[in-house]
Amino acid sequence: MRRLLALLGAGYLLLPPLAFAAEDSGAEEFDPAHEWELKDWVPIHLGPLDLSINKAVAYLILATVVSCLLGVLLMRVRVGREPTRRQAIGEQIYEIAQVQIAEQGLPTKAIGRWFPYCASLLLFIWTINMLGFIPLPLSDETFEIAGIRLPTLAIFAATSTLSVTLALALMTWVFTHVEGIRANGAWGYFRSWIPDVPKLMLPFIVPLEVLGQFMRLISLSVRLYANMLAGHMLILTFIGLIFLTHWLVFPVSVLFGTVFYLFEVLIVVSIQAYIFAALSAIYIGSAIEPEH
Amino acid sequence: MLSASFFFLAAAEDGADAGKAIALALGIGLGSLGAGVGIGNIFGSMIQAVARQPELRGELQGIQWLGFALTEAVVFYGLIGGLLAFVLI
Repeated sequence: MRRLLALLGAGYLLLPPLAFAAEDSGAEEFDPAHEWELKDWVPIHLGPLDLSINKAVAYLILATVVSCLLGVLLMRVRVGREPTRRQAIGEQIYEIAQVQIAEQGLPTKAIGRWFPYCASLLLFIWTINMLGFIPLPLSDETFEIAGIRLPTLAIFAATSTLSVTLALALMTWVFTHVEGIRANGAWGYFRSWIPDVPKLMLPFIVPLEVLGQFMRLISLSVRLYANMLAGHMLILTFIGLIFLTHWLVFPVSVLFGTVFYLFEVLIVVSIQAYIFAALSAIYIGSAIEPEH
Repeated sequence: MLSASFFFLAAAEDGADAGKAIALALGIGLGSLGAGVGIGNIFGSMIQAVARQPELRGELQGIQWLGFALTEAVVFYGLIGGLLAFVLI
């Protein structure tokens, strides 16, 4: 079964070149930035709002379904005497979320309320980043074989568009302030932003601290966005060198492309998910219990 | 949006574009210098810490990756700023 699936996948990878060779569509100019041009698949316009379903939205829906399934499959296992593989993986993820993220960032009384949010951030961002490095037939480019138009396999991460990461960061940001005001009262919370400094310094410190709160929003969203964007751009650029320069570059670009691909998949994907969840926990925790 | 070609080869056709491409590459290169030093510092300190107290490895690892990602992100702020300047100006 597994072998059959692998064979089918490899066959699908081989189809587009054959189809393009048959079509003889001519050499199109290659530009890695085309990957981020989102075309509307199902246009939905509500007044000024553009809610169209495009490639990124499709990836988001897919990631939501996959992360729900992952949660159900890994956590809802019958606990037996001999732990199965599924149980072991599930417990590993749970332990990272509990020990490394929630207990480090959140005060003890807030863990019960905010652990689910941080853990689902971890699982969701990891899933969506990981899906971005698996070739899937969700692409704007199509090819024709035997009279049917099929999308080509492509890699694209929804987190490499700024709107997705900004929405995630906005959630954390809003929750931070809501929890801070709920726990300390509005005056007490805003007082806790300002550190103890001489009165003369206050006109300089207050704007800086207020600006710092907004910078958190930017740094949280841009960190994830730029990491995924740069990773995809690097891989695509190294592949693109074959088409742009000379076919002799092929071994070099395949080598570097593979190295960067493995680096992204093995390290960056998990680290970015962990960082986002951990920083969310730290921000929310420090709003609930200010240090002074 | 980002339709301008990022390739220096392609950009070199036009003098102004070539200048912008060189500026972008120089900016990112200089930016990654600092992050390189920072990341080296983090892992160096981590090795020292684990060599002195191996039992703290688990606790330190979380902090280490946090520091790594925070430092690494600095390059990408430079990259995004550079790309914005490259595309907009």
